[in-house]
Amino acid sequence: MIRLERVTKLYKTSTRPALDRVSVAVDKGEFVFLIGPSGSGKSTFLRLLLREDVPTRGTVHVADLNVAKLPRRRVPRLRQRIGCVFQDFRLLPNKTVSGNVAFALEVIGKSPATVGRIVPEVLELVGLAGKADRFPRELSGGEQQRVAIARAFANRPLVLLADEPTGNLDPDTSQDIMLLLERINRTGTTIVMATHDHSIVDSMRRRVVELDLGKVVRDEARGVYGVGR
Amino acid sequence: MRSDFVVREVLTGLRRNVTMTVAMVLTTAISLGLVGTGLLAVRTIDRTEELYSDRVEVQVALTADVSAADTDCSQPICTGLRATLTGSPLVESVRFESQQQAYVRYKELFAGQSLAEVVRPQSLPATLRVKLADPDAGAQAVRQAMTDQVGVRNVIDQRDVVAKLFDFLGGVRNVMFALALVQAVAALLLISNTVQVSAFTRRTEVGVMRLVGATRWYTQLPFLIEAVVTGMIGALIASVGLLVGKFLFIDQLLSGIVSNGVVPPIEVADVVWVSPILVMIGAGIAAVTGYGTLRFYVRL
Repeated sequence: MIRLERVTKLYKTSTRPALDRVSVAVDKGEFVFLIGPSGSGKSTFLRLLLREDVPTRGTVHVADLNVAKLPRRRVPRLRQRIGCVFQDFRLLPNKTVSGNVAFALEVIGKSPATVGRIVPEVLELVGLAGKADRFPRELSGGEQQRVAIARAFANRPLVLLADEPTGNLDPDTSQDIMLLLERINRTGTTIVMATHDHSIVDSMRRRVVELDLGKVVRDEARGVYGVGR
Repeated sequence: MRSDFVVREVLTGLRRNVTMTVAMVLTTAISLGLVGTGLLAVRTIDRTEELYSDRVEVQVALTADVSAADTDCSQPICTGLRATLTGSPLVESVRFESQQQAYVRYKELFAGQSLAEVVRPQSLPATLRVKLADPDAGAQAVRQAMTDQVGVRNVIDQRDVVAKLFDFLGGVRNVMFALALVQAVAALLLISNTVQVSAFTRRTEVGVMRLVGATRWYTQLPFLIEAVVTGMIGALIASVGLLVGKFLFIDQLLSGIVSNGVVPPIEVADVVWVSPILVMIGAGIAAVTGYGTLRFYVRL
């Protein structure tokens, strides 16, 4: 589903590569934690998958698409197959919960009928069926992240990328969000989640890819956060 | 493409930057109004040329003694001149106007003005009015053949008089176009700026759109349409302004020479002819500027 081969990314402003000959393959339906200290290259990793950036060397494949070689006009097609969740939720404050989810479908050209069918379904899935008409400011952090997840999942992406989705949440709420992500993972959606959260990684016992200074220093099938430290 | 989505986004955008939008509309309107005035001047020049091309004559004015002595071009000097003129292939026809006829026409032309009171038949020359078959070569030939002939006072090419009028209209046109150009630069910068501000205020939406894989059309079209709509509103205001200007100022300004048939009047139809051109220019410039701005200054 995701394949990076000897990917190096150099930024003009830095002499050290943000990613240094990284090779990682993720199968369909896997759940992968991407861990490592700040500046280790996690964000660059995710940005390359989304084609926010192109690698300096090496190849990136996501769902049969050669990401780095993708012509500009095909980039939307890639992004329609990838859902994204962030630490800061990135909801539209002037739209309701259902409005936020509907917006993501409308802008990729889904018909009103389709939007009208999918939105309640996916809100039901994330447990916000009763709050469709609320505005983001009326929701708790955990609920806002659920809306963001609903939005990311609405178009049934093949891959869900989560960049520190629990970074702004308390431990209990984080646990709820992880349960939700697991549920989504069980539908066959591949999940790559960048995180600093020890307890989550340790309790989930999923595949862990650890980056340090742009290199993959560990790739374990059922890893924990701080092994060997 | 979902039109309801685009329409909604455009309306939100226009409402959100209302002061900018108004500034943009007004600048565009003034700029296009000037262009429109220039275009009307061009049209008037063309019309006037048409009007005169079949009417313009070369006048061969006769000296005072010949004018006084010969009232119907029957004496040798006048008949000789007339024969020379009609003999030329460049000349279509020659008409003799006696002092008395000139006097009557003069009275008509300046009726009610003090000029008409002071003039007497003797102060006007009799003329041979030459209608040309070939206006360009003919005028030159007549001038050469008639100047310094016995009995000829001077040769007046009416086109020289008309040329002054054309110079004036051409000047109006050039000034309008020059002002329009300066204004257009301001309008362009404003459009570019508005698109940037618009894109900035909607960066969250645009960010989400990019992320979920909306195509360039979806992300950019609202901004482009926003610019085009303001451009078109500007053009419409400019058109209305031209109409108002026609009734309030131009009609009055030109009333004298229009009623004498010197210059054709500017009709409502002329403004109607100019309006679609202005709308197209307004929309076109806005679209191109908007697209350029999005392409080079805004990362969507």
